[in-house]
Amino acid sequence: MKETANNKDYALLSYHHIPGVHNLEIFERAGGYETMKACFEKDPEAIKEEVKLSGLRGRGGAGFATGVKWGFFTKDRKAQKYLLCNADESEPGTFKDRYLVEKNPHILIEGMIISAWALATQKGYIYIRGEFYQQAVILERAIKEAYAKGYLGKNILGKGFDFDLYVHRGAGAYICGEETGMISSLEGKKGQPKLKPPFPAIKGYRGLPTMVNNVESLAAIPWIMKFGAAAYKQWGTEKSPGTKLFSISGDVNKPGVIEVPLSTSLKDIIEIHCGGMRNGNKLKAVIPGGSSAPVFNAEDAYTVKMDYEDVAAKGSMLGSGAIIVLDETRNMGDVLKWTLEFYHHESCGQCTPCREGTGWLESVFKRRDKGLAHKADIDLLDRTANSMRGQTICALADAAAMPTQGMIKVFRQELEAYVVAPIKK
Amino acid sequence: MTEKVNLKWNGQDIQAEKGSNLLKAALDNGIEVAHYCYHAGLSIAGVCRMCMVEQDGVPRSFPSCNATCSEGMVVRNDTPKIKAAVESTLQFHLLNHPLDCPVCDQAGECGLQDYYMTHGKYDSQMIDKKVHKEKVQDIGKNVMLDAERCILCSRCTRFTEEVTKTNELGILNRGDHAEITVNENLKNDYAQNLVDICPVGALTSKDFRFKQRVWFLKEVPTTCIGCETGCSVKVSQNKNGSYRVKPVYDHDVNGHWMCDDGRNIYKHVSSPTRLSNASENINNLFVPVDELGVQAKVRGLKAKYILSTGLTVQEYADFFSNIKGSKAEVALYTLPSQGPEFDGILRRGDKNANLRGAKAAFEQAGFDSTQVGLDKVLNSISSNDVVYVVIPEILYNEDHFNTLINKILKAAVRIALTPGETLSTLRAFNYLLPVPSFLEKNGEIINFQGSKRKLTAGLSYGETSKDVSYYGKWVNV
Repeated sequence: MKETANNKDYALLSYHHIPGVHNLEIFERAGGYETMKACFEKDPEAIKEEVKLSGLRGRGGAGFATGVKWGFFTKDRKAQKYLLCNADESEPGTFKDRYLVEKNPHILIEGMIISAWALATQKGYIYIRGEFYQQAVILERAIKEAYAKGYLGKNILGKGFDFDLYVHRGAGAYICGEETGMISSLEGKKGQPKLKPPFPAIKGYRGLPTMVNNVESLAAIPWIMKFGAAAYKQWGTEKSPGTKLFSISGDVNKPGVIEVPLSTSLKDIIEIHCGGMRNGNKLKAVIPGGSSAPVFNAEDAYTVKMDYEDVAAKGSMLGSGAIIVLDETRNMGDVLKWTLEFYHHESCGQCTPCREGTGWLESVFKRRDKGLAHKADIDLLDRTANSMRGQTICALADAAAMPTQGMIKVFRQELEAYVVAPIKK
Repeated sequence: MTEKVNLKWNGQDIQAEKGSNLLKAALDNGIEVAHYCYHAGLSIAGVCRMCMVEQDGVPRSFPSCNATCSEGMVVRNDTPKIKAAVESTLQFHLLNHPLDCPVCDQAGECGLQDYYMTHGKYDSQMIDKKVHKEKVQDIGKNVMLDAERCILCSRCTRFTEEVTKTNELGILNRGDHAEITVNENLKNDYAQNLVDICPVGALTSKDFRFKQRVWFLKEVPTTCIGCETGCSVKVSQNKNGSYRVKPVYDHDVNGHWMCDDGRNIYKHVSSPTRLSNASENINNLFVPVDELGVQAKVRGLKAKYILSTGLTVQEYADFFSNIKGSKAEVALYTLPSQGPEFDGILRRGDKNANLRGAKAAFEQAGFDSTQVGLDKVLNSISSNDVVYVVIPEILYNEDHFNTLINKILKAAVRIALTPGETLSTLRAFNYLLPVPSFLEKNGEIINFQGSKRKLTAGLSYGETSKDVSYYGKWVNV
């Protein structure tokens, strides 16, 4: 994958152009772990404050401010608590965290040590998606290096601070990317989200306070602590400061992961960073924030700015920053069908509206494949999706309902034609 | 003293303990809130999504089972938004339900049927194939599982995890293929509670199913006489007999549950082999006889009584007031202990339902209720005696009882007063007289805590009587 020329000027991929930066030695030579050492001289509360000031928003998809989330965490430094890194990147279309840790695992480890110092967590886990075997190996190796250097373990750098870090591989369930589902899985239980409240910051892993942050959020911490919140805010908007990784897939010439300031226009991302549409085809639609985000038509896609507010204003969400570009050759019926297959397969089955609803949504398409669907089924999909929204413990029901309703809103005619189309044998 | 808070539910002012469960507060105050997964005796799952409410000042609706009461709270579940949501959620619950109500034993007391009346959409939109799961699974301990009817509320899995701590049940698979499964067949002694807490027909009792429709049954609240715990129960009866026992919530004694042994306490009451007339033993055949004839036979003999520990406080009092002034001797047969003293949940080893009541009555009347007293009476039995033995209603250990019977054989006339079935042990008696079972008498027994527990007379069977002075009338003959 080729980095865009200006990546090194930004926060997250600033080391990625250095060959072999996954080795601790090379990472340190480039200035890695300096910020961590500097942070040990700082008051943990000051670190929390700086992160809060930076306005960094959780990069897992929900976009909740990381500093505010940290504010909910207990200030009792002695109490046992956990820092949990969410590397269970499973949203279809998202592969940014994978790229981040694959090339530069140490930036995440440094970010986690700083966060652990700020939050006074004695143990940390990186819960990594089961399919990311190679990335887990890379992380394990990097953690070993950090232990050898004394950056992890007991009495780190003689500061009287202990922090142990472990890698835990998931078993391939999308729902374990939801923070409480992840905690259940880590506890050895079935990966099912837990009822909230209480939130993990109060009662999480093994019933103890647990801070769950996304890989990208934690990896942004060293840069923020090095250059300060004000420098971070040079990018993006008031409500969406900083830079963001976008994973772009689909019908563009150069798909991949890029880091750009938030509020970069989607048009620029497609045309400049991704080299335009493949084969010169016409853009038809863009799913801007992973498969659960409502779809944009070409017009919205070409005018939207990729920040939390503007994407939301246009009726979708930034989510995890997974941009799926679809050209004129794509049938939206197929896109929706495959999306719904995925959510049906991944529903944990706990809450009734999601358990039954995701299956129902998909069954309409199964029926269509037998030539038994009709136009009115689009209304059925819309009604079913609508009654799933906001009714469940976690957001999986919404994640299935939103793209359904979004697709119906934007491409209704095409879907109607799709469900009644004669089936090719 | 816990602090009370005032809240408004659907505009109705209610009071509840501060920090107590919001859904429970509503239910306790008679407000109807649809729910499946919530059970006051189990942890909160929050998965059925039926008890959703809206609260003033809170942007999103939430399940009331996962909320606590605080002062000034204003919640509603009668808004159009919530009503629509509950209707849709019920629709989802029914989506893959087989709708086999005509052959389902839960029909008539089914959560799906009940809420369908108020929250049903009536016009089915489901034309797709239903997901099929395994039906008619015998999962042990007289519990049958029908996975298709299950709505995955997880009450049963929480019960085996939290109450019995035996973890036999779990949920296998995900999404709409999730189903209740047994890790091993049920092995706990409280398995029938699973049938009670299942809000639908997924778990049914092998003992009860296909016997009666629930709308033909009347429930009689009473007390279990299975052991000294004295759980509050209700017995479902109709004119043809009794069909099942279910626990009734009692904060001080049994909470929400009862043990499996207690489920069988009714069986002798309407058993076809139950004694219904006074009978005489003629060459080991029991032939109906006139009670007056029996009275004539015992006239002039010295009366010796061996009472059981299963009579009510009133029956003991009545008995002792009747024998006052006579030379009758009285002793008490105490059932031997079965199993551990206490199993940690409800069941106790001491099977004497009213031992405390009996002892108090004996003491007050000046008789010895101990084993020494019993031995003394048994050793004194001679051919001038008539021995009356009140047969314990439930005999856990027949051999132990036989040793008692072997000691009364010297008596001229041996009369058994039996509230139950005609057991083979009763061949040692000359006459058998039916007396009311626990389901045919009003009165009180005293449980292990020393608290008075009520017995209520339901329907009576045969010629047995509800007359409390039944035992007394044999005293002065």
